[in-house]
Formats: sequence, structure tokens, C-alpha cells
Amino acid sequence: MAEGGGAPGAFRPDTYKDPELVAQLSGRIAEVAAEIGRPVKLMHICGTHEHEIGRYALRDLLPEGVTVLAGPGCPVCVCDNEYINLAIQLSLTPGVILCSFGDMLAVPGSIPLEGERRGDVRMSLLDARARGGDVRAVYSVFECKRIAEANPDKQVVFFSVGFETTVVAVAAMLKRGAPDNLTVIEANYYTPPATSLLPELDGFDIEGFMLPGHAVTITGLRVYEHLAERGIACASGGFEPVDVMASVVSLLEQIRDGEATIANPYNRLVKYDGNEKAKQELDEVFELAPIRWRGIAEIPASGYKLREAYAQHSAARRFAGTLDEVALRGAEHPKGCRCAEVTLGQIRPDECGVFGKLCTPDSPYGPCMVSHEGTCRAWYTYGMHKERLTVEAA
Amino acid sequence: MTSENASDVQNAERSAGAEARAASAERTRLVTRYDSVRLSHGSGGKLTLELIEELFVSVFANEPLRELTDAAIVANLGGRIAFATDSHTVKPAFFPGGDIGRLAVAGTINDLAVMGAKPAYMTAAFLLEEGYDMAELERVVRSMKATADEAGVAIVAGDTKVLERGHGDGVFINTTGIGFLPDDVRLGVGYVRPGDKVLVNGTLGDHGIAVMSRREGLDLAVELESDVAPLNGLIEQVMQVAPNVRFMRDVTRGGLAAVANEVVLRQAFGLRVFDVAVPIHDVVEQYSEMLGIDPLLAANEGKVMMIVPPDEAEAALGAMKAHPFGREAAIIGDIVRKPEGVALVETAYGTRRVLEMPIEEQLPRIC
Repeated sequence: MAEGGGAPGAFRPDTYKDPELVAQLSGRIAEVAAEIGRPVKLMHICGTHEHEIGRYALRDLLPEGVTVLAGPGCPVCVCDNEYINLAIQLSLTPGVILCSFGDMLAVPGSIPLEGERRGDVRMSLLDARARGGDVRAVYSVFECKRIAEANPDKQVVFFSVGFETTVVAVAAMLKRGAPDNLTVIEANYYTPPATSLLPELDGFDIEGFMLPGHAVTITGLRVYEHLAERGIACASGGFEPVDVMASVVSLLEQIRDGEATIANPYNRLVKYDGNEKAKQELDEVFELAPIRWRGIAEIPASGYKLREAYAQHSAARRFAGTLDEVALRGAEHPKGCRCAEVTLGQIRPDECGVFGKLCTPDSPYGPCMVSHEGTCRAWYTYGMHKERLTVEAA
Repeated sequence: MTSENASDVQNAERSAGAEARAASAERTRLVTRYDSVRLSHGSGGKLTLELIEELFVSVFANEPLRELTDAAIVANLGGRIAFATDSHTVKPAFFPGGDIGRLAVAGTINDLAVMGAKPAYMTAAFLLEEGYDMAELERVVRSMKATADEAGVAIVAGDTKVLERGHGDGVFINTTGIGFLPDDVRLGVGYVRPGDKVLVNGTLGDHGIAVMSRREGLDLAVELESDVAPLNGLIEQVMQVAPNVRFMRDVTRGGLAAVANEVVLRQAFGLRVFDVAVPIHDVVEQYSEMLGIDPLLAANEGKVMMIVPPDEAEAALGAMKAHPFGREAAIIGDIVRKPEGVALVETAYGTRRVLEMPIEEQLPRIC
């Protein structure tokens, strides 16, 4: 870690990767699952969780009856078409530099890609760049600010896609003063309201939520109390193998005891009320508003929009009336793509007809195959769709 | 070249005073009238000749180059020749542990060396952007010379083009190399057998993380150097004690994941990597976690993956460790009968996952 980053030894990845600890937790999971005596479904709502579960093949350490599903945890996947189409149109507008995280560049919106014969293939920012758009991949919003300062005669637009963790950085940047020529596309999502929607769905049978470790570091855990009140177990989840397994243990114990609470096994970083300073800054710059989750629904108070005092940095406002309104909308997912069901944990990626065929990481058809945070991408990458990899040595 | 302002200046300027040039080549400090590259430096005229004589001939300093003929004449290598080319661009051009010059020379040398060839001669072609800093160019050229010397290779011919400002990115370098390939060298995926061991000569991902840490927008204070190095010396040492090495490949962009997948592609065997056996620098481990990058997919510029028969694995490992570029070498995996055509990772927990074939450049993930 960077110099000055906490007390010595505060960051010890080895401890949280320790095979013995993981084996103990795996044993504990089997015991509690046996005590419960029936199949149990859990869900995480963070793309990084799916990625780490795949990277360490942690599902192989769970007993038969315990299923951990991936929920709506990938900001790239839930980012609505409208914002992608807006970003594409702006990038093709003369005098505009469109900055985006690399993860977002290959995500198709709903503008058809002309000349494509593979099916219902839509345009992404990469396609826009190939057609002359000034699209730049950035690592942070502060880099985008530097680009705006270096190009005072251009309009610089930051495609602000992300959950609480991303929007906090945007708030910090705007609060400290951004150049006039910098605007942001407000595609910022707030997770808790989406989790209250899930139990309303037909056939919902999730008994516990692993809460997203990064996001709750900012928001705290209180915002998930509505789940516990419905009798759904909750536990914060970090991203190391030990963290993930410990979170599963906590959820299973709650289910066994019939006592849904909000446990905090990731307490080395997460406080019950989150990060007060970050929340305060966020609240100064942004307010909650309804936003569309791609393929799911418009969910009230689940998006961050700029407050009036910062509205001059809203790309949607600055460029209102200059764009093709029709092209901003469009069918949410391409034909045959089942990203919406994957995002809600209703089907496994390999149950989608185009998975691994028309839709692969090098030629993604739906958004869940694009980002490393996407469930389909993680499944494809780590071979989770294959039967357990059985090795025959020489 | 397509730019109308770029014209060919292939060591083409003939002049009578080869001896005088040889003398000027002895100078150790560059004397030039310009502090930045001008379009005329690529015109094939007076400025081009000045640049060639005062910089390239002076620094690279060898007989075939001093002749400034259309083509360099080199000694008969005899037997089979290995022949490779590689173009280089890196941002930033100077990074901890190296620069584009060292990268350009080491890259081509390593391509030859992993074929079992002994690299002997190289060419260097420069694409310079108008306005590129002349002092920086000199540093790049001197770095190329130092790396070539380290590997025992001479840079005997070259080319310079200048691109209009805004049409290049400072400096691009292409190098082409030839090496002598002994008759008894038998290397290739076709020789690989189940039971063979997989070795690397040190920590993986150093170059990728070191360069990324200096990119605009990250600027991380990472105490880490790129591993960029010519590996012909190390490879020669290993082959002396492990003459039946089956296959070698330099591990570059795409990291170990790319090389492992290239090996198993359409083969009747798999490649298994033991996660805990792979040497990873602590700093790489930590920053990879932070940036959401897999060190197995991160770039290297001084690493080779070798597949060695089991009875020669320990000797090969010992020879690697005895070389300065192989101190942290390790046996990281083996070739398995099944699954066929798959590169996989066995984790510390006894679980297994596919080792993915990289698709795009590794970028920090968002959340």
C-alpha cells in the first residue's frame, strides 16, 4: 500500500488469503448448512464479489445445498441505454472529448451498428471512436479534470458510471472546483433501493444478502435495515477469500437461528454508519432521484443527480436540445440477450442462449459480458460454466 | 511510410570519409545544433546525415554501421538463421527500471533467444515526432547501445523517419534481429509431454505494474522497477545444463496467461499453474489487488517461460537462479494429460479455475 496508508501491518493480504483459515470456514459452512438441513440461496450484489469468487473458485468450497448467486452488482451492466447513447452521441459531436472508465468503452447501447451482420449488434463507445469520436479512457475523474484544464477550448464530458464509490470521487472533484468546460453524465447508481425491489419479484427465494464491501464502506449498513426487517439475513462482505467465506458463515448462522440481522464480519473497514465525511460531501453535491436500471425498471431514489448548485456540470443539461432524442432511447437489450435475468440472479449465465456463442468477452453482445464486474464475463473468464476442472496428471 | 513529409533515409547517404566518421564516432557526447527533432531530420538531406553521424553512428559504434552503406554487411553466421522483428511504443517512454530503448533492443533479442538462437546483429528504425526532444532521443539511443552491449549484439543498420507534430507519439522504434541457430536446437510445442515442468525466471507482472504506476492519472509512488532485460545469456546458461528444454517463450504483453494459452491451444494436453508457486513481488501483489488487475495477465519484459522435461527441471532451475536475471526463478506448474487444451490455475484452496486468455489491455476496474 502507499506510504502512510494506515498502521503498519494494517494491510496484510496474506492473512485474508490464508488457506487454513479458508478451510476452517469452509468446514464451518458445511456444519451450519447441515444444521439448516435444506437448500439455501444467498446473493451478493457486487461485481467484485463475483470476480473474486470466480478467481479463487470459491463455489467449489461450498456444500451442495448452499448457492451463492450474483445479483445486480455491476454498474456497467445496469447502466441504462440512454446514458450510453448519450455518451456515444456526445463523443461524435465536434469539440467534445468524452472521457470514460475503460470498462465502459465496449458496452453496446441501443444505436444499431451499421454494417453488422451477426445479429442485433449495437454501437459502443469503441465503435464511436473508430468513427472519429474523441473517446479517452481515464483512470479517475481527476484525470478528466486535468484534460479539461488542458483543453479550455473543448467540452470535456466525464461518463460517470458507477455506484457509491465512484460518485463520491465525482462529488469530491466538483466540490473542490471544476473547470466550466467539464460536465458529467450522471449515470450513478445507489444500491439499497434496488435490493428492496428484489423481494417483490415473482419466485424470489433469497434468504441472505452479502452486502457490497466497497459501497457500504461509504454508506454504512443502516441503509440495508429494510432487508433484515423483512427477515432476510444480511452480512457485510469483503473481497478476500476469508472475507467471502466469513460472510457466508454469518448469513447461514442467521438463517439457522431464524434471526435476520445486519452482521458486519467485514468490520475492519466497514462502520455501521459508514464514512460520515464522504456521505456529507456526496449529499452536498448530489441528491437521490429515480433512475432506470437497464433491463430491470426505473427505481425511485436509486440514482444520484447533481443538485441545482452544481447543475452547470450536468452534461444532460448542457447539451439538452442539441442531440437526437430518438436515438437516446431504444430497446434495452439486444434480441436473445438475457442480461436482465442474469443481473437479477434469475438465471445462470450459461442458461442464456447466446452465452459463449454469439456473446464472448472479445465480442460481447450484452453488457454483462463486457465489464470485468459483469457476471457473464466472470463466468466465461474463469470457466465457471464448465464442469469442475478435473485434472489428470502425467 | 505514408506521410508525405516522411522520406526514406535508410543509411543511404554515401560519403567518402569513412575514416573521419570513425573518428567522430569516438566522441562520447553528442554535439548537435538542434535541441529537438525537425522534419528535415527525416528528409534524407543534410540534417539527416548529421543525425545519423552524430548520434546513431557515434553511439552504436560498429564497423558495418560506420560504412553507411545501403545495407550492412555482416560476417557469415553459417547454418540456420533465426530472424525476428518487433515494434515498440510505451507510455511513458522512460519508466522505473528502463526505457523504450532498452525495451526495443531486449524485446527482439528475447524473441531470438527463446528460439534457441544466439542473437548477433540488429537493425533499428526510428519514427520520431517533429519536436521530439533531442537530448531524450540521445538517452534512448545510449540505452539501446548499453543493452545491445550487455547482450553481445551489434546494431548495424538503421532508418529514421520524422512524422509531423501530432502524427506520432514522441518516439516509436522498430528493431529487427538475426541470430545463429545451432543445428542441434530442437524446440517447439510439439516436443511438450505430460509430466513436463513449467518454469519462469522470476517475479511476474513487474513491468506492467511499474509502467502503469507512472501513467497519467495514476502516478502511484510504487517502489518497483520494470524487469526489462535481454535474456540470451540466461537462456544459454540454462540450455547448457538442460539440453532437452522442450519449449520457451518470452512472457510479454498478456503475461503468463497469454503464453500458457498459446502453448495449450489445440494440443492434447493442459497446462496447470500452481498459484502459490508463482513468484510475485509484494508490491505487484498489493497494487494488483488495489487496481483489480491479475498479475498473471500483467506485462513482463525480462521473463521467459520454459517447459522442461521433469528430469532436467531442477538443473534448469539452478542455472536460472545462478543468473542475475533469474534469482527468483521457480517451477510454477506442469503439463497435464487432462483437461486438454486448457490452461488452468490451481488455487491455494485446492480449487481450480481457467486461466483466461487475455483479451484487452489490463485496466483498473470500476465499482
